[in-house]
Amino acid sequence: METAHAFTVAAMGSQFFVGLSRAMILFVVTAGLSFVLGVLRVPNIAHGSLYMIGAFCAFSLSKLFGGGSTGFWLGLILSPLIVALVSLIAERALFCHLYKREHLMLLLFTFALSLILGDLVKLVWGAEYRSIMAPKVLQGFVSLFGSSFPRYNLFLLIIGPLVAFGLWFFTNKTKLGKIARAAAVDREMVGAVGINVSWVFAFAFVFGCFFAGLGGALVAPTGSIALGMDHHLIIEAFLIVTIGGLGNMWGAMVGSLIFGLTQAFGVLFWPQFAIVFPYTAVVIVLLIWPRGILKSVW
Amino acid sequence: MKKGSRSRFSGIVLFGLVVTLSLMMVPALSEARDIKVGIIDAYTGPAAVFANDALNGFKLAVDEINKKGILGGKIEYTTRDTKFKVDIGLNMAKELVMNEKVDILVGTINSGVALAVSDAVAKQEKIPFIVWISKSENITGKNGHRYVFSTADNTAQGGKVGAVALAKKPYKNYWIAGDDYAYGHDIADSVWKNLKALKPDVEKKGESWWKLGEPDLVPYLTSIVAAKPDCVIFCTGGQSMANVLKAVKTTGMIDKIPVYIHTATDHAVLKPLGAEAPEGVMGTMHYHFYYPDIPENKAFVEAFEKAYKEPPGFPAFNGYVTGLLISEGFKKAGAIDREKFIDALEGMKIATPIGKLEMRACDHQMVYPMFLGTTKKAPGKDYAISSNIVTLPGEEILPTCEEIKKARAQ
Amino acid sequence: MRKQYFSKSLWVCVVLLVALLLAPPILPRFYTYILAVIFVTALLAMSLNMVVGHGGMFQFHHCVFYGVGAYTFALTVTKAGWPMWLCFVVSPLAAALAGFVIGWFCVRLTSLYFGMLQISLGSLLWAIAFRWYSLTKGDDGIHSIPVPGFAATTSSAYYFILFSFILCVVVMYLIYKSPFGVTLQATRDNPARCSAVGINVRRHQLMAIVIATFFAGVAGVLFVVLEKSVFPDLLFWVLSLEIFIMCLLGGWFTFAGPILGAAITVALRTFAGIYTEYWTLILGVLLILLIFFLPEGAMGFFLQKFEKGRDKETAPPRGQHAES
Repeated sequence: METAHAFTVAAMGSQFFVGLSRAMILFVVTAGLSFVLGVLRVPNIAHGSLYMIGAFCAFSLSKLFGGGSTGFWLGLILSPLIVALVSLIAERALFCHLYKREHLMLLLFTFALSLILGDLVKLVWGAEYRSIMAPKVLQGFVSLFGSSFPRYNLFLLIIGPLVAFGLWFFTNKTKLGKIARAAAVDREMVGAVGINVSWVFAFAFVFGCFFAGLGGALVAPTGSIALGMDHHLIIEAFLIVTIGGLGNMWGAMVGSLIFGLTQAFGVLFWPQFAIVFPYTAVVIVLLIWPRGILKSVW
Repeated sequence: MKKGSRSRFSGIVLFGLVVTLSLMMVPALSEARDIKVGIIDAYTGPAAVFANDALNGFKLAVDEINKKGILGGKIEYTTRDTKFKVDIGLNMAKELVMNEKVDILVGTINSGVALAVSDAVAKQEKIPFIVWISKSENITGKNGHRYVFSTADNTAQGGKVGAVALAKKPYKNYWIAGDDYAYGHDIADSVWKNLKALKPDVEKKGESWWKLGEPDLVPYLTSIVAAKPDCVIFCTGGQSMANVLKAVKTTGMIDKIPVYIHTATDHAVLKPLGAEAPEGVMGTMHYHFYYPDIPENKAFVEAFEKAYKEPPGFPAFNGYVTGLLISEGFKKAGAIDREKFIDALEGMKIATPIGKLEMRACDHQMVYPMFLGTTKKAPGKDYAISSNIVTLPGEEILPTCEEIKKARAQ
Repeated sequence: MRKQYFSKSLWVCVVLLVALLLAPPILPRFYTYILAVIFVTALLAMSLNMVVGHGGMFQFHHCVFYGVGAYTFALTVTKAGWPMWLCFVVSPLAAALAGFVIGWFCVRLTSLYFGMLQISLGSLLWAIAFRWYSLTKGDDGIHSIPVPGFAATTSSAYYFILFSFILCVVVMYLIYKSPFGVTLQATRDNPARCSAVGINVRRHQLMAIVIATFFAGVAGVLFVVLEKSVFPDLLFWVLSLEIFIMCLLGGWFTFAGPILGAAITVALRTFAGIYTEYWTLILGVLLILLIFFLPEGAMGFFLQKFEKGRDKETAPPRGQHAES
């Protein structure tokens, strides 16, 4: 049978790390989504569009700075900031006026925003595929368990935990982070102690979208940058955030790990049916843990 | 805003909306007797780059034709965006036929849309429909009929060519991987069926299918590399081509295992990768802007580059051929009559940038040759091209008329 | 005052009905077709609203049942060769059965979890339609599906769809006003209090899902009658999201809001698409304008104008949950 090879330890070990690196990108993107969901209690449908803008910005910045290694690193630093700026504009101009409204209206707003951003990307960058290369130091592969493991994926394995640590530090050790966490749990109380809740929301939204942009910039060298990127990721991101526990960042990590590893191992054992893996994973998880694996914030 | 003025403002906004919507509903008037072409295609989403390419090729042909005019008038066209969705495609096609009252329909890249429109609109409304990028062999095969034509290559051809190329190689164990949708499976089945017929001792070691648009192909490729097949056949559509080509390089597959992909050597695919495109990938294509290096092709490429600053890809070539067909067809028909146009097209031979080609009468399929080659960086340029090109003539690789007849009878 | 309100709305309905009946001979064929599309979509949106608006559940993948209805009809007509009336009856029942099975799992969860489980289960169904090529022809779709002679032309299909639509809406209204419907809305507003008085909230929700998915199946059958084609897109989550948005756009807490939402979306998509390929941008901008200036949704706005004379005390505050 064709899956005989699958049981070699080497293949499984290699796939494990591949799945792990995939989980890291998913984590970067979904951590942002989870943060917004926790504080604002609204699923941000525009998250995928911001991710796409992050990837396109990485392309443009990379081209602007010569296309080589410096281009990549500058793109990686600046794209999330640009995306954060875009989200800040959307938030202060429009979104913040809706906070007192019905939740479903906020959802409708993020949907409308995703439509607008999607078409704006087409207006600005056109319909062509774009591509950028990873910097020289991250090209090529290392030998892992006898097979080739792309160096860029190794880079992702380092970035993921860094982002996780950074987020943990921020939400637990800094004042702003603690306020945001408090607002997620009880916004009225936060308002009652004199903190401007609207600004907390603004910050949370922009912060979450920053990570969408970072995810897009990180993913840019691994595949083609094209229209439609927003749709491909958004459903996975929502599923991950749900199974992890709403608003819970560690939940986003758990969810991402489940998705990344299910994908990697599923591909090893049943590669013909890859399209059902994420959904099957979610069904199994939600049947066992109806409120997500980790505690949800609300 | 005060409550009263707010509701007044809302009233004005709503009134404005209603007025705008009503104005939009004024039906399009079509008095002048130019030939009206209605184009449906996916101008949004990852397939948009191919749709735009086809439209540019078509526009080039129309501009040239309109210089002289045709049947006392010009060719005018209008486009509609299907957003790669079948229900929108159907709506738009019906809008073009019933509202815009076009004489002929043209499009699209999405096979689902092409098949739906072919059946529900072209056949029902008795209007000719020329499919210009979608590669499903069912369009002129099983689901073909009098009112549908194809100026695209199809999976039956692609499969046969791939098989001819691979049968010459010593590979025995194959892995098939691709986009999990109709085109991916069609091309996979076609290649495998033909390969097995030519070389019965080939074995399929395994198959991998990922969702259409899957951004991260690394897990799939690493697991294929671990399986150690002799050769990998990728069955990817336009959306995943760039991802696959990048991934075969980053996972090191290209250095270990030979790879074949239909349409890998297309310029629209290789251009964004620039100098980083993987070399040594076997690919097949029915049009290259640099091959054959004949005066007609050179002239076409020059005109295209002048107008659009880019060399044409295969969709542009298909679009250009479609424009030529429409012009020659109506000229031969002598009038803007749909039935006469169809009769005129059957069996027609026209001069295209790659030579004289025929629109086959029995199935309304354009007979294209196929060029088999390997990717290699173009000397002095920043993109890769197809090299060591072998040509297979169209008649040898299309299904025969008897096979078509049998398929349609089922 | 009350009598005035009732006869006003009744007159509006009668005038509208007459206009719609006269549409095919007067309007160009394309507008008849688009109206038929609007009715099919509106029925689907109304059926979703039964669960979302009246039931308060996050039904994120409703169009799975629409697709099941459509595919069942297509397959029973083309492959099973059953008599047409049987196919008409069986298809919505199949959709309701799918609704029951998926709903049974989903009602155990709440809010977003309900929605995400439904997306996953529904997507598994989509994957079956997409991949089981020998049965469903995958994303090639099934085309040229024969429909009964009385609905074969655009005009006759329009009348058939209009008649079915009105029938379904009337039935849905009766359910909305029935004790079941009122209880359902109570479970939306305050599930804890309902269980406290002995109402089985889950059972109510499941029944609402089954009824709603039945009507979604009817919409699916009507789709096939109009377009004579089916394809896997009908079961894809993007369509579900679009229908959900139509409900929000029209006003999900009114009864007929989704009809307006569907009409606006279809009309905009069709007619803006003539002029620009950026019609999603226009739709997005329009949605934002609506959110800001018509907070009650399009239908809510009309009803507000209508209800000027109505006793404000009896109408419950919109969209707010009752205090326990």
